[in-house]
Amino acid sequence: MNSGREVSDGRLTVEGFSVAARAFADKWKIHNQSFPPWSWVPLINRTLHLSNQEEGYLSLEEILILSSLEESPEDESLNVATDCLEKEESVDHTILVQNQENEAHYYDFHIVYSSSYKVPVLYFRGYCSGGQPLSLDVIKKDLPSCSVSLLHESKWTFITQEEHPYLNRPWFKLHPCGTEDWIKLLSQSSISTGCQMPVDLYLVSWFSVVGQVVGLRIPLEMLN
Amino acid sequence: MSEKETSPAILQFAPLNSSVDEGFWHSFSSLKLDKLGIDDSPISITGFYGPCSHPQVSNHLTLLSESLPLDEQSSIASTSHGNRNKCPVPGILYNTNTLESFHKLDKQSLLKAEANKIWDDIQSGKALEDPAVLSRFLVISFADLKKWSFRYWFAFPALVLDPPASLVDLKPASAYFSSEEAESVSAACNEWRHSDLTTDVPFFLVSVSSDSKTSIRHLKDWEACQGDHHKLLFGFYDPCHLPNNPGWPLRNYLALIRSRWNLETVWFFCYRESRGFADLNLSLVGQASVTLASGESAPTVPNSVGWELNKGKRVPRSISLANSMDPTRLAVSAVDLNLKLMRWRALPSLDLNVLSSVKCLLLGAGTLGCQVARTLMGWGIRNITFVDYGKVAMSNPVRQSLYTFEDCVGRGEFKAVAAVKSLKQIFPAMESSGVVMAIPMPGHPISSQEEDSILADCKRLSDLIESHDAVFLLTDTRESRWLPSLLCANANKIAINAALGFDSYMVMRHGAGPTSLSDDMQNLDMNKTNKQRLGCYFCNDVVAPQDSMTDRTLDQQCTVTRPGLAPIAGALAVELLVGVLQHPLGINAKGDNSSLSNGGNNDDSPLGILPHQIRGSVSQFSQITLLGQASNSCTACSETVISEYRERGNSFILEAINHPTYLEDLTGLTELKKAANSFNLDWEDDDTDDEDVAVDM
Repeated sequence: MNSGREVSDGRLTVEGFSVAARAFADKWKIHNQSFPPWSWVPLINRTLHLSNQEEGYLSLEEILILSSLEESPEDESLNVATDCLEKEESVDHTILVQNQENEAHYYDFHIVYSSSYKVPVLYFRGYCSGGQPLSLDVIKKDLPSCSVSLLHESKWTFITQEEHPYLNRPWFKLHPCGTEDWIKLLSQSSISTGCQMPVDLYLVSWFSVVGQVVGLRIPLEMLN
Repeated sequence: MSEKETSPAILQFAPLNSSVDEGFWHSFSSLKLDKLGIDDSPISITGFYGPCSHPQVSNHLTLLSESLPLDEQSSIASTSHGNRNKCPVPGILYNTNTLESFHKLDKQSLLKAEANKIWDDIQSGKALEDPAVLSRFLVISFADLKKWSFRYWFAFPALVLDPPASLVDLKPASAYFSSEEAESVSAACNEWRHSDLTTDVPFFLVSVSSDSKTSIRHLKDWEACQGDHHKLLFGFYDPCHLPNNPGWPLRNYLALIRSRWNLETVWFFCYRESRGFADLNLSLVGQASVTLASGESAPTVPNSVGWELNKGKRVPRSISLANSMDPTRLAVSAVDLNLKLMRWRALPSLDLNVLSSVKCLLLGAGTLGCQVARTLMGWGIRNITFVDYGKVAMSNPVRQSLYTFEDCVGRGEFKAVAAVKSLKQIFPAMESSGVVMAIPMPGHPISSQEEDSILADCKRLSDLIESHDAVFLLTDTRESRWLPSLLCANANKIAINAALGFDSYMVMRHGAGPTSLSDDMQNLDMNKTNKQRLGCYFCNDVVAPQDSMTDRTLDQQCTVTRPGLAPIAGALAVELLVGVLQHPLGINAKGDNSSLSNGGNNDDSPLGILPHQIRGSVSQFSQITLLGQASNSCTACSETVISEYRERGNSFILEAINHPTYLEDLTGLTELKKAANSFNLDWEDDDTDDEDVAVDM
């Protein structure tokens, strides 16, 4: 029985993913308190044989980025003639008249295991406070400039839009086809463990690269 | 009369804002399509909100896919109670079937109905048991499931206090409590928030004893709280972040407090968080002054307000989700992704734009036409026109991959029409059209009555070739390829020719037209320029195209070929076209031979070599590439013929069709033959190299 305690070929088993995910979430909670913690979303009816844990994915949601008002999408209903509500409802002075503040953009991140590539995949999406989804162009404006150039130059990863494996809606994701290769490179450069990478550290190492692409940095302490 | 400075200001509430997650619309669309149909009765839904968690942004009342009554199973565990940021709140959705009925909804009475429910819950005591009902809400919507756009309008009914409550004092909670009390309140709140049983109860009592011990109690424990407190506050999860205003839920809360407990002074606690813990700097404590009801026995329902504004205006909101819901768009992005992956992982210099914009004309929608069309689609080519005058026959569907049995039933569908339909079924974003037309052929003389319609067909064919970028010659006779070859040479369009024998195939690309090079170069040396052009299908002929069909037996007329050939030849034809399109010289690219290539990627084209002709056989499972130059005496693409066509137009065509020897005379083939016949050749010991023999197909 392969306990999968170490990874030597850049890939993870589905049990390894569960283990790595919990280790990652725990370390994040301790070292990265400027962000909310990742939560594990179990998939119902899909338990793993070996550890009796559920299959699932990691979720970090509602990360807020404030941007200037110009970014907000076109709302065509504004062009509709004012409704006759005007006459019916009298002005209520107890309602605070609010100024238009900055547009808030929210981001959700999911780390999902891909059984075909045998590596984790980062899915993400952005939306406004009203719920309207953000296009990739708008999202790229929210990313720090180093992320955008990383995306542009990197041959390891690029953003595609594909159906989320469990939510049946298109999400953006960082394509996993290069992951196996660069994880192997990462593990080879780790002196202490030779070419092996402990499963516990897999997601941390993986995220140290992938997170940069979407502007999420992890503190160095997490890598110990 | 001057304003008294000491008179308290009217308490102003920050409106609650809505947020509808994309998932809600997805689930609602499924519900409407699968279950509801045109049924527009109101639907009970659940909204979710939580206390403010960010100092600069208020929280919203959110609708998620779980907001709809649970029906189908999902692979995610559904949100049950106990989610700290999702306090469930009952709501109702009125969705109309047309935009007109959306605008005609009587908003005031709908709002009043929901406000009445809140009032009833207050009177009956239900609001004490389940205080979330104080935040009951209403949504009206119109879901356009053809365009995947959704128009909606939220209302958060608030019972209006008359006269309005006034604000005596409002300050951050940390300023109101002593530091000991603050610590104790924070701890108690965090505990309340930590427990699954209480975390989603958005209204509660905060009781602080004189020795700074805090306990948080349910509203229904009001009586029990009397007497043993030093400070008693009405706490609630406040989604609003503003420092000077409490959030909307306080409105109905005050109505409840006034109605149940007859208090004139209300101390309230706007609970807000940051980083998942109580934040007493962000949270507010305030004192409101409420005018009691004038003691009537049967309290009447107050007025209500609460329609959400859209950027300050009283209009509904709308959202378009076509990009993530329209199946055609989803298919397009999936197909595009596939091609991009190919480029990303294997061929970084692949030009995908040229493929998606190229217009292909397929002459012939039979075995070759169907295979070519399918492979073109695989390359992301969207613009395909079919020309075929035949109908789908019963023997066709097994070999012609775009047709099915239905196409041949009855009198049979026209192939050009059936092919277009089939492409659309495979991929809805195809731009495809069909032309039912026969191609005029030399050697099939026409009567004078037919002349006009034949010439019209010629014109039509010429126009089609002009308006496309690449032409595939996929007909089933030799002579039907003559006119298209000529027209392509004339217009300098890429022509790909594929032909089948019984167990062999030939695929080639025609060279550029003779007038493709500049006039200056032409005048210099005609022979030289011709040498640089690759040949066409007819360049090696020594006779003009003739009638090859009459007097053949029936089974020879309908070409019989091994079924594996058409897919092979069709696929090679498309790969050859893509090679031409990716080559920097395009139609002028010189021909490569596989024996001469360096192996591996050519610098010129990322795809490899670009041959002129490919010939193969399934009897040998072999394939070779050939190179042929254009012939000065070619009946289809030579300088002579093209200039004659340009000069004489229709009369040239008619003569070529009616008198096949005309072309031979014109091009000098007649002379050539005479010369050849008068030459005695010794054929013994002549080892003909296979590669030099032109196989007549």
